[in-house]
Amino acid sequence: MTRYARLLWVQLRASMLLAMQYRADFVLDGVVELFWASTTLLPFFVVFAARPVIGGWGRDEALVVVGCFIVLQGVLEGAVNPSLHGVVERVRNGTLDFVLLKPKDAQFLVSTARFSPWKCMNVVTGVVVFAVAFRGLGRPPSAAGVGIAAGMFACAIVVLYSVTTLVVSASFFVVRVDNLSFLFTAVFDAARWPATVFRGALRFVFTFVIPFAMMTTWPAEALLGGVDVRSMLLSAALAIGFAAVSRTVWLRALRSYASASS
Amino acid sequence: MIEVRSLRKAFRVPVREAGLFAALGSVFRRRYRTVVAVDDVSLSIERGERVGFLGPNGAGKTTTLKMLAGLLHPTSGTLTVDGHEPSRREPDYLRKIMLVLGQKQQLLWDLPPTDTFDLNAAIFDVPRDQYVRTRDELVELLDLGDVVKKPTRQLSLGERMKCELVAALIHRPKVLFLDEPTLGLDVTMQATLRTFVRRYNEQEGATLLLTSHYMEDVAALCPRVIVVDRGRVTYDGSREELARQVRPVKRVTLRLARAATAEEVEGALGEGVRVVTHDAAELGVEVDRANVGECVSRALSRLPVTDISVEDPPLEEIMRELFRETSAARLEADADATARVDADAEGAPDSGEDA
Amino acid sequence: MSARSVLRAAPTVLRVGLAEAVAYRAELLVWVLTTTMPFVMLAIFSAAAIDGPIGRYGQTELAAYFLATFVVRQITGSWAGWQINVDVREGTLATRMLRPLHPLVAYALEHAAAIPMRALAAAPVVVILLATSARSGLSRDPVSWLLLLVSLALAWLLTIFINFAIGCLAFFIDSSQRVLEVYLAVFFVASGYLVPLDVFPPAARRALSLMPFRHQVALPVEIFVGRYDGRAAALAVELAQQAGWTLVALGLVALAWTRGVRRYGAFGG
Repeated sequence: MTRYARLLWVQLRASMLLAMQYRADFVLDGVVELFWASTTLLPFFVVFAARPVIGGWGRDEALVVVGCFIVLQGVLEGAVNPSLHGVVERVRNGTLDFVLLKPKDAQFLVSTARFSPWKCMNVVTGVVVFAVAFRGLGRPPSAAGVGIAAGMFACAIVVLYSVTTLVVSASFFVVRVDNLSFLFTAVFDAARWPATVFRGALRFVFTFVIPFAMMTTWPAEALLGGVDVRSMLLSAALAIGFAAVSRTVWLRALRSYASASS
Repeated sequence: MIEVRSLRKAFRVPVREAGLFAALGSVFRRRYRTVVAVDDVSLSIERGERVGFLGPNGAGKTTTLKMLAGLLHPTSGTLTVDGHEPSRREPDYLRKIMLVLGQKQQLLWDLPPTDTFDLNAAIFDVPRDQYVRTRDELVELLDLGDVVKKPTRQLSLGERMKCELVAALIHRPKVLFLDEPTLGLDVTMQATLRTFVRRYNEQEGATLLLTSHYMEDVAALCPRVIVVDRGRVTYDGSREELARQVRPVKRVTLRLARAATAEEVEGALGEGVRVVTHDAAELGVEVDRANVGECVSRALSRLPVTDISVEDPPLEEIMRELFRETSAARLEADADATARVDADAEGAPDSGEDA
Repeated sequence: MSARSVLRAAPTVLRVGLAEAVAYRAELLVWVLTTTMPFVMLAIFSAAAIDGPIGRYGQTELAAYFLATFVVRQITGSWAGWQINVDVREGTLATRMLRPLHPLVAYALEHAAAIPMRALAAAPVVVILLATSARSGLSRDPVSWLLLLVSLALAWLLTIFINFAIGCLAFFIDSSQRVLEVYLAVFFVASGYLVPLDVFPPAARRALSLMPFRHQVALPVEIFVGRYDGRAAALAVELAQQAGWTLVALGLVALAWTRGVRRYGAFGG
């Protein structure tokens, strides 16, 4: 275990070194993050300027969901995506073989291979959004609410990682589709809205198929003080379920890669 | 055909530093060093010549080829190819030349090579009937058959390289720049490509400038070689003359009726003879050019010779010899470069320009 | 390079480009799935407008607007900026520059060749538009329909020119990809792609009307949903502005490309 921790640090350090190399990136990444954050917020404020309450959500309450979204987006784009996009690249040019030759778990190796350290700016932005939202509401979140939200976030990150792993595993079978890895990131944008605003089929999809509800809506509800045991349990169940499925599919994908490659 | 005078190309590159803190520092303050890829190259090549461009990695071969193809602009010096100044990239010039880069490909990855051929014919303005004739001829010559109708991604490396050549020759260029065209190919495929390129040169009277790591390529194709090292031409002349200059010896290979020791053979052949390869009854011996005759007659009279041959030493060995001398000099030069980086850092505050 | 030789090469370049677009149909499908944001925005706005229209947008108008947005982006979308970026960084631009067809013309022709496949992707949504109640939210003026084609063509050109201009930054800076991301962020908001521009507060609307982005999506969409029915004069003014921005963008491209290539030649790929 400690050996894996050391390995993680080595890879993290390499990513930081890489990120430092490009001076223009240093400034630009900050600007890009700010821009993306504001594009997240502009349509939001426009919609809530037209209506004070949408689907049972007031503006400041929905803003807590946006805060959760921004933080999770940072995790997705900073820690999950860079490595897993790297796998797609490696499958295409055949260098995945080098990874498979190493005496460590391949999934661990590939999913810690690259980080984008600048994306931690998202956490700062998210905290600012939380601050604004709770000032608007006039009350801070309860300690219990923060604890539950943190637990749900952990589950959400597990699911994010698992879904991305599933997408990457798919790339083993359809090697030629090289933008497949961006699909989830694009669809994830929908998670910035409270899942209960959607109706009909979309709501079902966003709760169970691509479970955005447990990623941003439920933690936000917990922060807002609505402690719901059912959603806590469902959160944990989804995390375990997605993790198990994605691990199985990953191992199967690896087997098919090993037998198909020359 | 190709005239190059005092060609020079220098790049300014940022220094990448190891270590997290050094890297953090370089975010704010960057250091540069000037790398001279081509220092002073002059050469002149006639129409229809086949010239091999030799030199160790980083000697400036590819940079020179890219300048000849018009992709890079010289820092100073002049070059003209068939009356054109390459860096102007006139369409008429582009229609006369072709640059094949062994590691880069132009074939469309997911379509059959024929589509790329069609595309190039259209882009290079090749009349329809001439295109069809050229294509069929090239496909025939390279024995490609139906290979050109399969998507490129399904082809083997060798097939791909053949198709890459067809795509490059569709417009029948008069000047061919080949950079490592046989990289990664097996021996028979290398031989096929060499024969093909030679034939193209003879039929079309095309001029050929080739760089390769495989000395066989150069040995088989190029009567004339130009050696560059550290951006300068260190030799320009015939291949045989190069062998004579660098290794003024001949290689005599002896096959004997029985096994013999190296000492025995050296003793029998007399002064100035050195055994360089030894495998039981087969020996390779190096002799000064002046003493070859004497050595051969001694061998025939004193040893049970069943077979004998006299050749130049392999080009491979000549190159190794040639660049051994320069590697010592290079170590000193690197020390110089480090000193220069420090000097640069003093005088060059960050200007955003070269990010 | 003469216009004649471009015209001679065009049919083959288009044919091969189409063959490539067909070969990459799976990727196209994935790309279509990543551009479904208008549907999410439609769901959000519909929920917001559940008890009465927002501005001029009731349920029907919202459906017509966002479905049209999706269709317009399918047709006018461009990836040239990313392509140039990759070609410069990986050195594949060298191969393109060795051909006697201007690389930018080649990119444009490849884009044009992909239009049939992209139109195919948009077709189901067009069917939905015409077959459902959203149809009543579309234009009924033949003049509008005719000028929609002009506007779509200009939007296509404008988008590809902006992509060229930003793509050419790859000659000057390592990270032109970031600039593309910033552009995309601005584009999403300022083009009317995520939010109809007339829902913005008046001050923001005035600011947006001074920018080129609304000519990339909002103008064709608004023609599509009948905003200019019977107002040919107003539409002519808008189209003139759209053409003006397209020319400005073209000028920027010419500048960025010539300087970029000069620099590429000086510093290498």
